[in-house]
Amino acid sequence: MILCMTSAREEKTTSESAMLDECLKQIAEKDTDALSRLYLRTKDSVFGFALSILKNVHDAEDVLQECYLNVYSAASGYDSYGKPLAWILTITRNLCYRKLREHEKMSTIPQEDWERYLEEKEGITSEDKLVLHTCMNCLTEDERQIVVLHAVSGFKHREIAQLLSMRISTVLSKYNRALKKMRNNLERGVLQK
Amino acid sequence: MKNTELEAKVKQAFSHAAPDVLDCVLRRCENQKGNVMIMKEAKKKSRKWVKQVAAVAAMAAIVFAGTMGAGIYRTNYAVASTVSLDVNPSIEITANEKERVLSVKPLNEEGQTVIGDMDFKGSDLEVAVNALIGSMLRNGYLNELSNSVLISVDNDDPAKGDALKEKLMEEVRVILQTDTFDGAVLSQTITSDTQLQSLADRYGITAGKAQLIQQIVEKNPLYTFDELVPLSINELNLLCESAQTSLEHVASVGTASDKNYIGADKAKEAALSHAGKAESAVTEMEVKLDYENGMMVYEVEFKADGYEYEYEINAVTGAVVTFDTELDDDTIGQSQSGSQISGSVSADTFIGEEKAREIALSHAGVQEGTIRDYKVDIDEEDGRYVYEIEFESGNLECEYEIDAVSGEIVTYDREVDDDWEAEHHSDTHHSSQNSGSAATGTFIGEEKAREIALTHAGVQEGAIREYEIELDEEDGRYVYEIEFESQDRDYEYEIDAVTGDIIKAEH
Repeated sequence: MILCMTSAREEKTTSESAMLDECLKQIAEKDTDALSRLYLRTKDSVFGFALSILKNVHDAEDVLQECYLNVYSAASGYDSYGKPLAWILTITRNLCYRKLREHEKMSTIPQEDWERYLEEKEGITSEDKLVLHTCMNCLTEDERQIVVLHAVSGFKHREIAQLLSMRISTVLSKYNRALKKMRNNLERGVLQK
Repeated sequence: MKNTELEAKVKQAFSHAAPDVLDCVLRRCENQKGNVMIMKEAKKKSRKWVKQVAAVAAMAAIVFAGTMGAGIYRTNYAVASTVSLDVNPSIEITANEKERVLSVKPLNEEGQTVIGDMDFKGSDLEVAVNALIGSMLRNGYLNELSNSVLISVDNDDPAKGDALKEKLMEEVRVILQTDTFDGAVLSQTITSDTQLQSLADRYGITAGKAQLIQQIVEKNPLYTFDELVPLSINELNLLCESAQTSLEHVASVGTASDKNYIGADKAKEAALSHAGKAESAVTEMEVKLDYENGMMVYEVEFKADGYEYEYEINAVTGAVVTFDTELDDDTIGQSQSGSQISGSVSADTFIGEEKAREIALSHAGVQEGTIRDYKVDIDEEDGRYVYEIEFESGNLECEYEIDAVSGEIVTYDREVDDDWEAEHHSDTHHSSQNSGSAATGTFIGEEKAREIALTHAGVQEGAIREYEIELDEEDGRYVYEIEFESQDRDYEYEIDAVTGDIIKAEH
């Protein structure tokens, strides 16, 4: 507990990270309630990140499930206190790449099914659709991952650089370019309506 | 829009889009718990999640062994049987030794719909199966059009597995004796080895369905595993029945519904009427339901007047998908011509291949002796039979469609080889080598004709729709017939193919 508090101080989102750390400790003891709490706090990040890599809702949903199963079985080995979300998203990314390799091996190119999915999904506003559309169609893969990690998961550019193994200057310039693209696109989209 | 605003919108959009899989995750975690003990105690079989949990297996096992007796744990929590139900929805149920449900997992969206918010954990396996089949009926996945269920039971003890299979099969058979239809139940025991399981995982189907498809493919190597995966159990069942292959490891009661399809009799009628034959005039009629190129079809075969006919009839619409007529090998001696297609469908009324060839050659103005790569085929287009003829002569490539009954030229296309065209444009006027090419070489070309028509009409290239151009011969001269629409007006032009003169312009 003390260890966890001290290392967590370094992050500004201390309380959030600390809470997730605490969850992971309990999950290591096979506490499924703790898994539920962790899930609720992080699923948007995991799904968003997976979708931004895979561009396929069906696969992203698989990865979402697999990710928490992995968290559940691997929590006892979790030791990067203070950076729980980075740990979870690394698992997510590995699962995504495994998925892509599987597709490669079987030479299946999964359809980009997210637009159809959004049509059927409840609770999606037309603005949400426009934003997602822009994010998925107008950004490059790097840009999309960076935007999602920053906006959805609240990652700092430094943390993004670490997770994606990029230089921080690259992350920053890609991020700015991405936001500019999105803004132009969204404003045009709104005008069209 | 500020960056922070934009970020907030992105965050909200992804949050709204994220699906909820918590229940599924928790159920699968329970599975892991159960599986941990199997591994530790007996190392029974390699299941897919074993590898994933290997690292924590030992630790979790200690936790559980510490809290309760291992034997009790095994009876209550260890997976003794896996039962999968496939219709089109696919569901996998795990149960312990006492046949109490440990988990119910959907393998596709339809499966999720069937399960809905029902929670089966701890309930009796038979009750769960009963409720799930009931839900499939309510949700319309089982009905008179699609009445087949596959039950697969996986138990390490073959005798127990077999007994359970028999019990569930009877149970489901009874539920499916409804007022409107009777169900068909396929059942099998499976031994889920890693190879089968990885096959199932790869396609996201149950090991049961994978085993069924594998057996069908083994029986009929013309099918591929891939193409059968999307089929429902009813469709697979129909294919088995139609091929009259009984699969060794699959027990079957009831008959698969073919009410979604036109039926063998209708398919027979469609083929006969297409061929212009009365049923009494044909022999060796065979009809078989088959799956070709992603479509359920009836294969209809029969013999008449020395020919073998083979049809594929769309099983849903009754449309003729393909047909093929061949001289019957058995009667080849009695026939006048060796050609495969000369006497095609209702051959008596057709002009015949020879006559069609004559028409094409004379129209093209080429000599019999100069042609190369001659091909002829008979085809049906928009309800009329045509001979499709292709040949080359000199530097010309010609394609004709000739009405098989009237001998009329339906369409034709003659192209001049590019090299020759280049020569022509550089104005070395045609040498005599193209003895038979009529006036073709001096044509202005489709592009030029289009330009002339558009300029005359005064419309922009981008403003036209439904553009059509055809080369035709009228009163001994060649014309380009051009049609298009622009701003709700129809335009029709006839342009002299040699001079580029506008012969006719209609607005």
